[in-house]
Amino acid sequence: MTSTTAVLSQTQVTRSPATAVRQTVALAKRSTLELFRQPATVLPSMIFPLFFAFLGNSSFGGTTSLPGFPKVSSYLQFQLAGTITQGVLFGSVTGAAALATDIENGFFDRLLAAPTSRTSILFGRLAGSVLFGALETAVFIFVLLPFGADVSAGIRGIVAMIVSGALISLAVGALMSSVALKTGSSEAVQGTFPLLFILLFFSSAFFPRETMSGVYKTIAGLNPISHLVEGLRALSLEGFTASATARAILVPLAIAIVALLIANRQLRSRLKSH
Amino acid sequence: MNTATHTSTHTMIHEKDLHTTTMRSAGELIKRSLINTRRLPSAFFPTLAMPIFNMVSFSGTFFALTKLPNFPTDRSVNWFMPLGLAMGSAFSGVGLGFSLIRDLENGFYDRLRMSPTSRVSLIVGPVLATWIRVTLVSVVVFIAGFLLGARPTAGLLSYVCALAAALGISTIGAGWGLGLAYRFQDMRGAAIMQLSIFLTMFMSTAQVPLNVMTGWLHTVARLNPITNIFRLSRSGWVNQTDPGYMSWSNAYGGLLAIGVLSVLSLIFALQSLKKIDN
Amino acid sequence: MTSSPIIAENLVRHFGDVQAVKGINLEIKAGEIFGFLGPNGAGKSTAVRMLTTLLRPTSGTARVAGYDVVKDADMVRRSIGVALQDAAIDPLMTGAELLALQAVLYGIPQSLMKKRSDELLERVGLTAAASRRVSTYSGGMRRRLDLALSLIHQPTVLFLDEPTTGLDPMSRLTLWEEVRRLNKEGTTVMLTTQYLEEADQLADRIAIIDHGKIVREGRPVDLKAGVGAPTLIIKTHADQEERAKAVLETFGDLRPGAEGALGVGLRGGAAQVTEVVRKLDESGVHVQHLEINEPSLDDVFAEATGYRLEGSDNAPPAGDNGVEEPDKKKKSRRGRK
Repeated sequence: MTSTTAVLSQTQVTRSPATAVRQTVALAKRSTLELFRQPATVLPSMIFPLFFAFLGNSSFGGTTSLPGFPKVSSYLQFQLAGTITQGVLFGSVTGAAALATDIENGFFDRLLAAPTSRTSILFGRLAGSVLFGALETAVFIFVLLPFGADVSAGIRGIVAMIVSGALISLAVGALMSSVALKTGSSEAVQGTFPLLFILLFFSSAFFPRETMSGVYKTIAGLNPISHLVEGLRALSLEGFTASATARAILVPLAIAIVALLIANRQLRSRLKSH
Repeated sequence: MNTATHTSTHTMIHEKDLHTTTMRSAGELIKRSLINTRRLPSAFFPTLAMPIFNMVSFSGTFFALTKLPNFPTDRSVNWFMPLGLAMGSAFSGVGLGFSLIRDLENGFYDRLRMSPTSRVSLIVGPVLATWIRVTLVSVVVFIAGFLLGARPTAGLLSYVCALAAALGISTIGAGWGLGLAYRFQDMRGAAIMQLSIFLTMFMSTAQVPLNVMTGWLHTVARLNPITNIFRLSRSGWVNQTDPGYMSWSNAYGGLLAIGVLSVLSLIFALQSLKKIDN
Repeated sequence: MTSSPIIAENLVRHFGDVQAVKGINLEIKAGEIFGFLGPNGAGKSTAVRMLTTLLRPTSGTARVAGYDVVKDADMVRRSIGVALQDAAIDPLMTGAELLALQAVLYGIPQSLMKKRSDELLERVGLTAAASRRVSTYSGGMRRRLDLALSLIHQPTVLFLDEPTTGLDPMSRLTLWEEVRRLNKEGTTVMLTTQYLEEADQLADRIAIIDHGKIVREGRPVDLKAGVGAPTLIIKTHADQEERAKAVLETFGDLRPGAEGALGVGLRGGAAQVTEVVRKLDESGVHVQHLEINEPSLDDVFAEATGYRLEGSDNAPPAGDNGVEEPDKKKKSRRGRK
């Protein structure tokens, strides 16, 4: 008895770029929903940064005329960039921890066993992070705007900030995903929380570098997070200038590209050895 | 098991010989707590590192605060060392809650509850052990602070008041942490502990003095008893010309807050322990 | 005040909607070993936790060692020793340290502490391991330490919750010996188990618990007899079978035997064997083979509950596979047992 069912060849299923995109979108959707549904993500990466922003505003509102402090309309205008960076940073780590959990509980292997394109697994996860990061940034901007976090660069600046936030998510997410892929342990990824926390504090996320002194000022100057934050801050304070936009977008973009290369290398190495 | 050679030196113990006292039991529980700390140093390290990290990062980041007119002190480290101490002490208390959850989850706490020792001793022992840990940590923080440039403005009393504040905060944190651990008996309690203590600590003069605050924080901080405790802690570290300098009225508010909140939180812990069999 | 060391009246325990224990009545007599037999989830551990002051009954009362478990919990604690499932001990401490802690918590005078600890360590065979951390102990060693901890104050009543679950056969036998020895020394023992053989071997009386209620109670031998008469099976020459059958019929109903064998249900119990053999002999029947099959506790359980206890996940491990249960973390204590 002959069967008339058409059999899809392996190549037909996996190789077409259209399929890869579809798979990426599906996985991206899953990642994003996952992030939103876990209060463990939303709390530290959205509620905390907002709380600190309001706390900071009430605490340091009277310090904006200190020597060295850039000219701002309110402390919140200064703080917005730090809040965005803080939220995006912790949101990305959580996304990578979810990837590690996938590896731990075998879901990753199930994805590998299916004819899923390898890169779409990584990109799907990262796309979720990027989407979450962009949304977070938008939320921070629009929540803090009415309280005085003016963005001198206007609507274009806001769009640039959202893009920047997305790129920072991508950069950090890719780096953390490398950790996830290398260690396969969500505990290891979450162990980077304190490290990021420390990095964040030794930066200009909460107070201007110009007001710091001595060794501390030097460390903050060397810290890449300071530069990420100051790029975003330039859009708030300086307006939609070329230098501000370049700092806000090109710096995270550069880091993101390097991070993606590292992550891709980790993905290949994991696939080869497992 | 040794079933063949049963030793003939069989100690006779009668019910009437059993004499439990709260202090003796508490003492043994302190011993246990310290043994565990020594044998699991990885759990203790954050307790030590966090206050120092806090002190360094806050005094570095907000260095310029001291340039504000009438700021209580000229030294950034002087202002933020008490914050480091407070965070460390508060989380020592939380650490107690964590190890209690561990005991509850692996069943060892059943052993403790089935013993005839008083329920009070089950709480007093671990809290006193926390005091020992906090004192050790505080000494290290004092040394680190000194190396970073902190200078007391009231001599020995500066250290005494800062330590008293630290011990007080750790007691409040311990009672709260233990109570939540008894009620939840799992890691949800841990999350709530951390969150609540963190928020309460920061909605006070943790970061800036009252006269620098604006808006809602000023109102909340004025009412928050933790502000009084910070005042006590800093009374020996602000300039001698500052109204917050060492004086009975500045110390009194803090001591009262410590007393009242400690009692309340320890009662909360005891009640939660008694309700655990429900 | 009665002298029975364990009395429970209509003990009930709910966890939210779950009714773990639905009204238990017990009276355990001084000096006996009482077995509480039932599958996982039957309510055994919940009942034990109520009797040992760890859990408050939703309703009903219990008196242990003469004291009310709720109102005089402290007095109860001074008189009982308890070894719960999953030997619950602190892995960071050494055996000796744990015994010292236990001694202080029970108020044993300082002068007696060391002697008592050393005695117990020798008794459970842990003298050499006493100065090592418990995390290095095997599962069997942890159980032994747990038993030592429960005995530190020489309690008159001992509760053992599933004491041999997960132990290899050798350790199980040793523990049984120890339980018998303690009992001979005068300790009343209440033990819960899911192993029929354990209940049969150790207990003077048992109660079968199923879905939170006691469905049978009594001495194992009486419970078994209550199920039905033992079966006597004989083999004899083919030409003597008719005569044999006639004799057997007078002792009870004939039952099917294997090929070439005759069976009868001895109405008067296994004690009638001597008479059966005598009567057969008088009738000139030569008995080649004789065996008696008693109804087992398995049969008792099946008749009481409608299902068999000795299923694949309930039977003890078949051989010495050398694998003991790891010291696993417990799940939420609020689950029913």
